[in-house]
Formats: sequence, structure tokens, C-alpha cells
Amino acid sequence: MTLEQLANEFEQARGQLKSYILRITASVADTEDIVQDTFIKATEKFDTFRGESSLKTWLFTIASNLAKDNLRVRKRWVENVTDICREEVLSNRQFFQEAIDIRTTSPQGDFEIKEHIAFCFTCIAKSLPLEQQICILLKEIYEFKVGEIALILTITEAIVKYYLHTGRSKMIHIFEGRCALINKEGVCHQCTELNGIFNPKQNTQEELVKIEMARVAENADKDYLFDLRMQILRGIDPFESNAAELQLHHLEHNRQVMEKYLKKKGD
Amino acid sequence: MITSEQNGKAITIKKTFSRETSVSIEIHADPTIIWMLLTNAADYPRWNSTIISIEGTITLGGKIKLKSTLDPKRVFKLKVKEAEPDKKLVWGDGQGNRVYTITKNRENAHIFSMTEKIGSPLFPLYAKYIPSFDSSFQQFALDLKKEAETIQNSKN
Repeated sequence: MTLEQLANEFEQARGQLKSYILRITASVADTEDIVQDTFIKATEKFDTFRGESSLKTWLFTIASNLAKDNLRVRKRWVENVTDICREEVLSNRQFFQEAIDIRTTSPQGDFEIKEHIAFCFTCIAKSLPLEQQICILLKEIYEFKVGEIALILTITEAIVKYYLHTGRSKMIHIFEGRCALINKEGVCHQCTELNGIFNPKQNTQEELVKIEMARVAENADKDYLFDLRMQILRGIDPFESNAAELQLHHLEHNRQVMEKYLKKKGD
Repeated sequence: MITSEQNGKAITIKKTFSRETSVSIEIHADPTIIWMLLTNAADYPRWNSTIISIEGTITLGGKIKLKSTLDPKRVFKLKVKEAEPDKKLVWGDGQGNRVYTITKNRENAHIFSMTEKIGSPLFPLYAKYIPSFDSSFQQFALDLKKEAETIQNSKN
């Protein structure tokens, strides 16, 4: 393989790398930096690539290592991140004004419940231990095999399986307790609440019926509901969707709130 | 090797100044999975029905606070005394130690054993106040087996 071929392959993987790193960092600026550094590192280390894995796996390995070194990535959020950030939003008029401006002027300013489900997952997954979060992203969203994840993270397949199972169980438990889309007693219904604000003419119930996870929630088991949630995430590119700018603006807000919150807690 | 009769059944040996309870069970899982389950303190209540909570880090020299369903009001302050990954873990206090071992049994199967010996010269005075560990040990071993084998058999 030549450097030119590497550049071509990198371009093909760039979209996935970007969304992967964004879901780990929750920061657009850090994502841009890490993805750029991934390319630089890949070209520098190109002669060490022996083809023992696919090039995509190799690129994800470099990106994952760079992300793990990022200070913001190492700080873990809290399960009730969306509650804390909601409280902050209510007293932040500027945030709402910016969001409304994006909603009305940007071609990527749509509000869609599905997009918010993906956004919500990104925020809550940052409360998992980093290794568990990374394993879930690689397996459930980017569809790497356990053996490939073991290569990416330089750990054994047994450990990958442990992280996947534990992380998945925790996320299922959190969503079961919080998400009103799958549990009527769930405390969080921000996605429908925001839909009412950004899409006042829409019938939210009609929108929910379009989402299989919400439609089948009453009779489906929790593992299947989690699979459906992951299916939603697989279908969304947080940089390219029609809702990208609005959701990235929201993500930036939540990241800042969490950083302030963790600093205050002395974490 | 354990016999089918011993598999998952707790045994207690009582002596004047000590009491020792042990259980062994065959687990069809990678020893690393068993080890990860045994050493992730915060995760215990999710899979182990005998543990209410464990605070702290389960690494050599680490201090933990354990609440068990055996005596929910009591917090056991313990120290991790040995930690040999995938093989042996020991925690305890002045009263006694709990020893966990993982040994290869046959292809894809390991024997998990757990032993706790409590005792002191004053043991006869308070022995009657300490509940039997048998059913709790059996449940611990069964929960560990179930969780480890579920993880082992998860899709690739």
C-alpha cells in the first residue's frame, strides 16, 4: 500500500472516525484535533502497518489511543447528566436564543426525536468507565468484532466481553430507570419536551409512533429495546444529519455544564 | 477436580477457636472474566445477590467497605492482602480472611473456590452470634458462575 492509498482509505473512514471520537469526547474541537492527529500519526507509522488487521481497525486503534490520552475524555460524567444540564438550560436564555436561531436559519437545524435519542446516549455513555464506553461504541455502533476491539484496545477478548456485558447492562439499567420513551415511570422526557419547543406544530405522539423503540416498548424486553436504541445510533451521523448543528450546539452546552459540575465536585 | 456432590455446595468445619466455610464450583469461562467480576467493586450488586455494596478498589493493598445481605446493617472494613490476577484474591481483617482461587479444571472450565476462616482465642464467646455462611456462599458461587458464563457465551 502506498501513502496515497492510505490517504484514500483514511478519507473513507473519516466520517466514522469523526463520529466515534465525538461520541467519546463530546467536543467538536477535540474531535477535529484527534482525527487530524490520527492521520498524521498514521502517515508517520505507515511503515509499521503489517496488514495484521484491516486498515480501518488500525486507524481506529490510533484514534482510540489518542482519545484515551485526552484529559476531557478521562473525566467521566454522571448518570443524571441530562437532569443537571436541563436545570442549567432553564436559567440560560442565551443558550435558548442560539438554539432557536440555529433551528430557524441553519440547514442542519432540524429537531428530530431520533437525533436527540442519539445525543442522549452520547451524554449518558460518558458516565461509564472509559473502556466500557469505548467497547460499546466499537461493537454496537461501528460493528467491530470482539477480536478487532481486543486489537484496538490491546486487551484480551475476555476483557472486551466483560466490558461489553457490564457496560451494556449498566446502560440498560440507566435507560430503564430514566427514559420515559421505554418506561412510563421514567423521569426523563427531554426528547419529547424539546420536540414540543422546536416543532410546536408537530403531534409528538405521532412522531413517537415512527420510532420502533418507543412503539414496541411496552411489550419488548429490555435487551431488545437497547438493540433498537443502538440501531437508531447506527443510522445517525452527528456531523452530517439534518439536525447536526442543533445537536452539536446542545452537546457543547452539556459538555461545558459537566466540566463546571465536575470541577465544583473536585473530580 | 471436584465431585458433582461438592460442586456449588458449601461446607463448614467448626472447631473450638475457629470456623471455616468453603465452596467450590466449576465455571465454564475464561479466568480473566471471573477475575474481572471479582475485582470490580462497584459492579458487585449488579450480579451478586449476596452483596449490597462494596466501596473502594480491589487491588493489592486496597481498602474496601463491604455490606453483605448476611448482616445488612454492618459495614465490614477489609484490606486486600493478595491479588494474583486470574488466580488468587485474598481480603480480610483481624478476624479472618476470605480467599478466592481460580484453577484450571479442564478445557474451558475452571474451578472457583471461596474459603473464609474466622477465629480468635475469643471466638467461642461470640461464635453463636455469627450466622451460617453456607447459603450465602452457595449463592455467591452460583451468581458468579451464571454471570461469568453469560459473558463467556455472549456473541462475538
